[in-house]
Amino acid sequence: MFSRILSLSVFLSSILMAAGAFAEQRNGNVYGLPRCVTTTGMQIDEVMKIIFWLTAVVFVLTQGTYIYYLIVYRRRPGVPAHYSHGNNTLEIIWTTAPTIVFLALAIYGDRLWEDIHRPAPESALTVDVSSYQFGWQFRYPGISGQLAPMDVRKITPQNPFGTDPENPKTAQDVITTDLVIPVGRPVHVLLHARDVIHSFYVPEFRLYQDCVPGRTIGWVWFQATQTGDFQLACNQLCGTGHYNMKAPIKIVSEDEFQKWLTPRQQKNAGIPALPASTPVAAPSPAKAASLTMPSSGNTL
Amino acid sequence: MNNAAYNDSSLFHAPMVAEVSEHDHHAAPPTPPATCKLGMCIFLCSEALLFSGLITAYLVLRQSAGTWPPNFGDGIELPPMPKLLTGINTVILVSSSFVYHFAEVAVKKGKSGAGWMLLSAMMGATFVGLQCVEWTELYHEGLWFNKGGVYGSTFFTLTGFHGAHVCIGVLLILWCFFLQVTKGTFTPKRHVALENVGLYWHFVDVVWVFLYTILYLV
Amino acid sequence: MSTSLTHDSIAPVEVHGGSHHDDHGHGKPGIMHYLWNTDHKMIALQFLWSATFFLLFGGAMALAMRWQLGFPGHPIPVIGHLLPHSVVNDEGAILPSGYNVLVTMHGTILVFFVAMPLLIGVFGNFLIPLKIGAGDMAFPALNELSYWLFALSGVLMLSSFWVPGGAPGTGWTAYAPLSSVAAYNQTPMGQTLWCAALFVNGLSSITGAVNYITTVITMRAPGMTMFRLPLPVWAIFLTAILLILAIPVLSAAAALIIFDLNFGTTFYRPSGYGQPLLWQHLFWFFGHPEVYILILPAMGLTSEILSVFSRKPVFGYKAMVWAMIAIGFLGFIVWGHHMYVSGMNLTLSAAFSVSTMVIAVPSAIKTFNWMGTIWRGSIHYTVPMAFAVAFVSMFVIGGLSGIFMASTPVDLFVHHTYFIVAHFHYVLFGGSMFAIFAAVYFWFPKMSGRMFNNTLGWIHFWMTFVFFNLTFFPMHNLGLGGMMRRIADPTVYDCLKQLQPLNVVCTIGAMGLGLATLPFVWNIIWSMRNGPKAPANPWNSTTLEWTVSHPIPHGNFAVTPTVYHGPYEYSVPGLVRDFLPQNEKAPAHVTLEAH
Ligand code: HEA
Ligand code: HEA
Ligand code: CUA
Ligand SMILES: [Cu+2]
Repeated sequence: MFSRILSLSVFLSSILMAAGAFAEQRNGNVYGLPRCVTTTGMQIDEVMKIIFWLTAVVFVLTQGTYIYYLIVYRRRPGVPAHYSHGNNTLEIIWTTAPTIVFLALAIYGDRLWEDIHRPAPESALTVDVSSYQFGWQFRYPGISGQLAPMDVRKITPQNPFGTDPENPKTAQDVITTDLVIPVGRPVHVLLHARDVIHSFYVPEFRLYQDCVPGRTIGWVWFQATQTGDFQLACNQLCGTGHYNMKAPIKIVSEDEFQKWLTPRQQKNAGIPALPASTPVAAPSPAKAASLTMPSSGNTL
Repeated sequence: MNNAAYNDSSLFHAPMVAEVSEHDHHAAPPTPPATCKLGMCIFLCSEALLFSGLITAYLVLRQSAGTWPPNFGDGIELPPMPKLLTGINTVILVSSSFVYHFAEVAVKKGKSGAGWMLLSAMMGATFVGLQCVEWTELYHEGLWFNKGGVYGSTFFTLTGFHGAHVCIGVLLILWCFFLQVTKGTFTPKRHVALENVGLYWHFVDVVWVFLYTILYLV
Repeated sequence: MSTSLTHDSIAPVEVHGGSHHDDHGHGKPGIMHYLWNTDHKMIALQFLWSATFFLLFGGAMALAMRWQLGFPGHPIPVIGHLLPHSVVNDEGAILPSGYNVLVTMHGTILVFFVAMPLLIGVFGNFLIPLKIGAGDMAFPALNELSYWLFALSGVLMLSSFWVPGGAPGTGWTAYAPLSSVAAYNQTPMGQTLWCAALFVNGLSSITGAVNYITTVITMRAPGMTMFRLPLPVWAIFLTAILLILAIPVLSAAAALIIFDLNFGTTFYRPSGYGQPLLWQHLFWFFGHPEVYILILPAMGLTSEILSVFSRKPVFGYKAMVWAMIAIGFLGFIVWGHHMYVSGMNLTLSAAFSVSTMVIAVPSAIKTFNWMGTIWRGSIHYTVPMAFAVAFVSMFVIGGLSGIFMASTPVDLFVHHTYFIVAHFHYVLFGGSMFAIFAAVYFWFPKMSGRMFNNTLGWIHFWMTFVFFNLTFFPMHNLGLGGMMRRIADPTVYDCLKQLQPLNVVCTIGAMGLGLATLPFVWNIIWSMRNGPKAPANPWNSTTLEWTVSHPIPHGNFAVTPTVYHGPYEYSVPGLVRDFLPQNEKAPAHVTLEAH
């Protein structure tokens, strides 16, 4: 019977879905999610799990019923179809029920969305991320603990970060091509693009944000929960080299982070290397205020 | 499992389709005027959305530029828009709508109306002419598609799109005029093309009132 | 609209002599007959052949992409070195820039030159006049103009391959400023042609839509009230309204790209205080209604096919209509769900999430009513029915993955990954294309006067069904595994290397899917001429198109039919036959249930 084979296939795809999409977190297997290494990422995984189970149930119920009907109501000689134009009670039920479910999902999702985007804590390390065809540069605060002020309108190939050359802090900024961040401390990234739109995407962070030329995207911050090596990917089609526009990300302990950053800060400040244990000045809360472009409040 | 099941049962109503192909029933009457006008109105809805897209783009860009004309910090003074000249031009264009209406009224009364048609086409042409003068003027003051950033881009693009519509309108009106003069095509009973061109022309005028307000006045 | 506007009441308007003469190409033999023919049935066929060509072309590009993704850097076997050098290198392996071109042209062609013309150009043209009992469209000449504008836009689009710089590689979404600045995309001419092609294509859609709306409003046969319209007509009518409102916005936005590229304007360029996000807003204001433009007709066609082969009235006809109206309306206020993470205001994202969730409700209503339609039916398994049945399942899978992305935090993870690619192929291929296949088989007897080959049809169905799922289901996993879309070589990322086996599975599936299409194309070409002669009403359907027999004359109906009841009166108790055509009065002893 065609109907049987047909139904079977539909059913099989349902099994595939359930088994496939959400097995355990991936550790070398191809079915699950990649590792999750940020606090917000875990919250996102939670929402995803809820939606997964919800849709899985809906899927199995609807497809199950559907297949059941396809088999039971296949044409049999002498059994005419039932003459019916519908049922208004049913219509009302299956309009209201999904409405409630969907609104609940929207509200739940949006509350987390708001939470994820609350202002970065003051203790956060601020890194200026600059994307271009086809690569990344990162700017860390210099010895003063503050990034040199910048203006997105001043970004040019000669002045890739749009900083003010007169400002003494500009020379102190530490500029790198890999993103090194301490575990456990919030990291606030300011996203910039020099030419076209690029995007800051790290699957293990559960984080995607476009970098828009002419703007500072200032609402992205995250806090890593594990150390390890990752890759930053540009996930917005940006031209020929898009597929290969990546940068290494290293999440290290706070100690190691200081060992990595301090000598660079000292070098830029013209100070001979100090003992590595000397703490650097804590980043000042005033850092964000030094941006001349408002990071949010755009109209689009 | 195949169509065999259907083939026999469909013998049932074979008679229902008898002899359709014998004679060709296609002396299709000309599309009725009401239908033609409906078609035109639907088309104008899509035109309205075209201009809405452009106007939205303008408003958004203007809003996010801060000051208007925008300040690029390069010390170049961008010229203001010539309100007065264009104001007169606006009056001309809007009046041409009324003039066109007189043409329709005349035709409905059984008169030719060709004079009104020609007059309104000439008013439309005057509008385009003055607009060209204005473009040249602004060009010499340092504003063009590629000068003055979004200030120049939006102004020339929006007025350009509209100007193209006016040109098409003028051509359509002239076409009506020639039809009327040479063949007397439009009669009190049948003048749907005239009405449709009228709808288009009024639409183009209304759009201009919007454009004049946002580009020049506010 | 009341019945006072129907064909009959306006037909008597003066038939004046002179200007109108028979220019319908009727009776004119020779090539002109095919090139300029205002008969809606001919135009439908013109669209069918053109779109089939583009299906093979755009599909072949997908296969090339899949080859590169499954076996990155390996030369394409056999045909690799035949491809132009803007796409492949000397060995015949795909270049990164060539890959971008393939993605762009694949997406653009499948959406604008395959799915739209098939759903709207073919079935809109063929079915509307026949189903509402009209002789032709309201504006037959405009209708043919619409086809030729479409053809012209196709030529413009394809010609971009041969201009200096080659075809654009900026994605079917052509995000500015990549698309609007020559220095960034290196393909200013190709991109300009792309925009121009979409502009002309838009004109074609608008002229078509003006015709459909006017025809449905003014040319319905006596008795054919709006709530007696068959669902495909409702669907295409609503789609036409969406076209009228959405397409011009894309046209405006595309024109601005042309200006930015060629005249130095700065609409999308920050240096002149332009806004890159402006393009995205304009594009998606069009783009989201566009995806419903692609699914509404599919839903209408499927509803009818399910009803015919279940021998049951459509369950909840009115609910179906209102759900489509709701989809059409809400479709205009959800565009921001493509831009949650684009840098748009975050509060807006949250608001768009709510409207996006709400728009899933009418889809849910439709799904449940489809299930209601087959419930207690007498289901006949035919090739068109198989595709229609599979449509519902595939649409549900695609719709459910839409719910993931509609949730703002989840989109933070899955945006621009293969999860999205899986989503939209389930709704576009599993949805629109399956419905198109179903409809082509279903109306084939009416279009050609012949039956298609059943065996080939079943081969096509099973291969398509199996390979479709094999190709696109694993893409969910690829996406959740972090694989980005539009990358020419996933193996450059360490975390994606382990996913490569899945990519190979997708590629194998895609090859199978490509093969599956061949029996379909062969079937329609061959059966058009050689199939067994079809009876006038092979499926025992109730709607008006089945009351005329092949060859359907110019003007369709010898006598304008009168309609007595709704479209889907199947298995009415008390009748000998299990169907009651719309133009036949129910006998006195039979009462029809209100719907
Ligand atoms: C035919 C085309 C089509 C259709 C019908 C849809 C339908 C939907 N789409 Fe899809 N979409 C696309 C085509 C389509 N989409 C395309 C082409 C893109 C990518 C564009 C690009 O970037 O290139 C896209 C992208 C896209 C995004 C952006 C993702 C991103 O880029 O990050 C989102 C986000 O919200 C989304 C959501 C939805 C939703 C919620 C629906 C809903 O309408 C679905 C509703 C249906 C159901 C939900 C199933 C049936 C319902 C039930 C069985 C009821 C019970 C269910 C529950 C209680 C859960 N789509
Ligand atoms: C209706 C729309 C539609 C359809 C039917 C398809 C069909 C297919 N798509 Fe499509 N796809 C899109 C719309 C569609 N796609 C869109 C909008 C995008 C986004 C583009 C973008 O990101 O900008 C996309 C992107 C896209 C990607 C993502 C690319 C990327 O992001 O890097 C992939 C990858 O696998 C893919 C694969 C396929 C495959 C394998 C098919 C298969 O179904 C194809 C099956 C094959 C055939 C039907 C052809 C048969 C032909 C032959 C066997 C050869 C004979 C040839 C000749 C005679 C010339 N598509
Ligand atoms: Cu940068 Cu993609
Ligand atoms: Cu959408």
